[in-house]
Amino acid sequence: MKKNPWRDYKLHGTVLILVIIAELIGTIEIPLTKDVAITIMPLIYTIILGLVFYLAKPIKWIERKQARIAEGAMMLFIGVLIAKLAVSSGQSIGLIFKMGPALILQELGHLATILVLPIALILGFKKEAIGMTNSIGREPNVAVVVDKFGFNSPESRGVFAIFIIGTVIGTIFISFLVTFSLSFLPLHPYAFAMASGVGSASMNAAAIGPTLAAFPGLETQIEAFAGFSNLLSFCVGIYIVIFVALPLTEKVYNWLEPKIGRDSIIPKKEDE
Amino acid sequence: MPDLIDGSENISVHGIFNWIFLLAIFSIITVIGNYIGYKHPISDSLVGMGILSVITLLGVWMERKLPFNISSIIYISVMGIILAFPAMPTSEFVSYYVSKVELMSIVTVFLAYVGIGMGKSWNEFKTLGLRAIIITILVIASTYLGSAIVAHIVLVMTGVPV
Repeated sequence: MKKNPWRDYKLHGTVLILVIIAELIGTIEIPLTKDVAITIMPLIYTIILGLVFYLAKPIKWIERKQARIAEGAMMLFIGVLIAKLAVSSGQSIGLIFKMGPALILQELGHLATILVLPIALILGFKKEAIGMTNSIGREPNVAVVVDKFGFNSPESRGVFAIFIIGTVIGTIFISFLVTFSLSFLPLHPYAFAMASGVGSASMNAAAIGPTLAAFPGLETQIEAFAGFSNLLSFCVGIYIVIFVALPLTEKVYNWLEPKIGRDSIIPKKEDE
Repeated sequence: MPDLIDGSENISVHGIFNWIFLLAIFSIITVIGNYIGYKHPISDSLVGMGILSVITLLGVWMERKLPFNISSIIYISVMGIILAFPAMPTSEFVSYYVSKVELMSIVTVFLAYVGIGMGKSWNEFKTLGLRAIIITILVIASTYLGSAIVAHIVLVMTGVPV
C-alpha cells in the first residue's frame, strides 16, 4: 500500500483528538503545601496519551508504521517550534546581547552531568559511565560518543541507554523537575529560561511550559532566552562536549574508577 | 533533518510536497488547540502558523539545496530572528501574527507526535534496568540545575534586575 506520510489520517486524526482532549482538560494545579504546587500542563497529557495509544493493545490503528511516520514528521515539526522561539528571540535581540555573558557561561553549567559519574560507578557501571555522564545524551552527543569510541564500545552502550531512557521519560521528567525547581529554588526568571535550553527540542519545550506559567508578563523574554540557549546548546554545546566534557569525564573516570569502582562496591552492598 | 520522512517506505511524492502537506496538517491541529486552550481567533493564528510553516519549509529546503553543511535548525533560527528584528519592515506583521499562536499550543501538538513516536523505543526501554534510569534522571537534573545556577550567578554578578 503506497501512502504519503501526510495521508495517514489515522495518525493525524488521533493527534487531533489527543490535542482536543488535552486542551479541554487544560492546566491542572495540585497544591502540595501552601507555597508549592505541581503544575500539570496539556503537553503532559498528549505525550502520555500518545505513548498509551501506541502501547494499548485494543487501539489497533496506531502501530509501528504510525510511530515511524510520527517520528519522521516530528523532525519537521521541530522547525515550527524553533521558528516560534526564533521570532521571540528576534523581538528581544537587544536583550539577548545584553545577557550574552550569562547565556554563554550557562552552557558550561551542563558540565554538571560529570558529578553523576561517581554515582554511576557506585551503581556498578564501568566504562559505560563515560558515555552516560559526559552530557545529556541526545542525538548530537550520541554521534560524538559513537564517533570517538566505536559503535560496539561500552561507552556507546552507555550513551545509547541514556538516549533511549531520555526519549521515553525525559520530557515528562524535566517538566516535573522544572515545576519543583521553580517552587524551591529562588533563582532569576531568566536563569530558569536559559536553563531550559538543554539541547533537546522536546525537553526544551516541556521545560519552558511551567516557566512561562510561573512568570506571567515575561513570556516573550522567557521564550527568547529559552530558544536562544537551546540554539547555543545545539551549535556551541557540541564543541564543549567534544573538547571539554568528554575528555574531562574520562579523566575523572580514570581517577575515580580504581577508588570506587565495582570491586570495592560489592562488599559495601553486603553491608546493607 | 527531514531524512527520516524521505527515508521511510512508500514515498512517491517529492519531499517538498510531503513537507507542505505535513506542515498544513500540523498548522490546522495547532490552530484548533490554540483556539480551545487560549481562545485566540482562528484566522489570526492561521496566519501565524502560515508564517512559521514557511520559515520551516525554507529552512528545510535550504539545508538540502545549499552547498553548506548547516542544519536547518540554524537556517530557521536565523530567518526567524531577522524577520522579527525590530528594525525590519516585516517585524510588526510577523510579531503580531506569530504572537497569536501560543508556544504551548505548538508544543502540545508536537509532543503528541513525540509520544506516539517514542512508543517504538518502548521495548528497548524495558530491557534497560533501574540503575540506568536513575543515572538518566540524575544526568538530566544536573544539566538543568547546573546551567540554571551558573546563569543565576552570572545574572546576579552582572547586576541584572529581576
